[in-house]
Amino acid sequence: MAEHITFSRRGAFAGLALPGRFGQAEGPAGLTVAVRTTVAIAQVVARPGRTDEVSSAVAAAMGLTLPAPLRVSAAGPVVAAWTGPGRWLVMQDEAGSGPYPAGSFVGRVAEACRGAASVTDQTDAQGVLRLSGPRTRDVLAKGLALDLHPRAFRAGMAASTLCGMVEVTLWQTDDTPTYDVAVMRGYAGSFWHWLGESAAEYGLVVAPQDDARAGAG
Amino acid sequence: MRIPCPHCGERGHEEFLYLGDAGVRRPDGMAEAKAGEPASRPWMDYVYLRPNPAGVHRELWQHVHGCRAWLVVTRDTRTHAISGAEDARTVALARDGAPA
Repeated sequence: MAEHITFSRRGAFAGLALPGRFGQAEGPAGLTVAVRTTVAIAQVVARPGRTDEVSSAVAAAMGLTLPAPLRVSAAGPVVAAWTGPGRWLVMQDEAGSGPYPAGSFVGRVAEACRGAASVTDQTDAQGVLRLSGPRTRDVLAKGLALDLHPRAFRAGMAASTLCGMVEVTLWQTDDTPTYDVAVMRGYAGSFWHWLGESAAEYGLVVAPQDDARAGAG
Repeated sequence: MRIPCPHCGERGHEEFLYLGDAGVRRPDGMAEAKAGEPASRPWMDYVYLRPNPAGVHRELWQHVHGCRAWLVVTRDTRTHAISGAEDARTVALARDGAPA
């Protein structure tokens, strides 16, 4: 007997990032976490020897300068983070007024690269967290071997590295400081557990996920 | 142990995966045997025979939890001192030229 099955989108942190305050209950929260459920993500990997060709094609078609190593770049709401030689994550927040209609972004990036790069849709393969608050660096320092002191790591910089023994791509969006962290969805539970434990002594606020793509509980 | 990735800067070795000896060169099929040798001899040498000096080795490592690049790392096996890391693709192109 055939059954009708429908699939619904479920964010990488659905059921994990429950809104509320956790850990230390007194005083201002040391860390605030917002799940960025509306980011469309394209992974761009230049074919051998064609990195410059990809950069100029994307600049011409999208007005986006792909960033140098260890950097992020932006063209309006479109953000690109360097993840390796000839490799980038190119993202559009679809909740904002992005230049490309929701659902079309990854295809537009692929068109822009004109065959000089492999472009894969990572929208549902990665979960992106936005970390802010006065103790953000202290929380990250418990699992991240990078020096995040402003003399070494500033807004506009990116790194692919290990955090809490989970592979992440991390970039700093402003000097408050605010960091975005992209985690492969299979590791979301493990990363979330590490993050919650690490932030507990400072107090952790998890912002509500208000988008349908976050999925039910 | 810290490895100075030429793309990412110095990172802990836990981000890297050891992938073998960078001092050997993969034979081109069975075509490289010298006269009088078994045809498999170059592969025998490539797969099994290693000089194993107590001292400086050239090793392949991949920055697998970082930029994914393959590197040639120069490491002293007596002290674990790492004296350099180069992009493996650059090393191979300098040695063999561009692929046909």
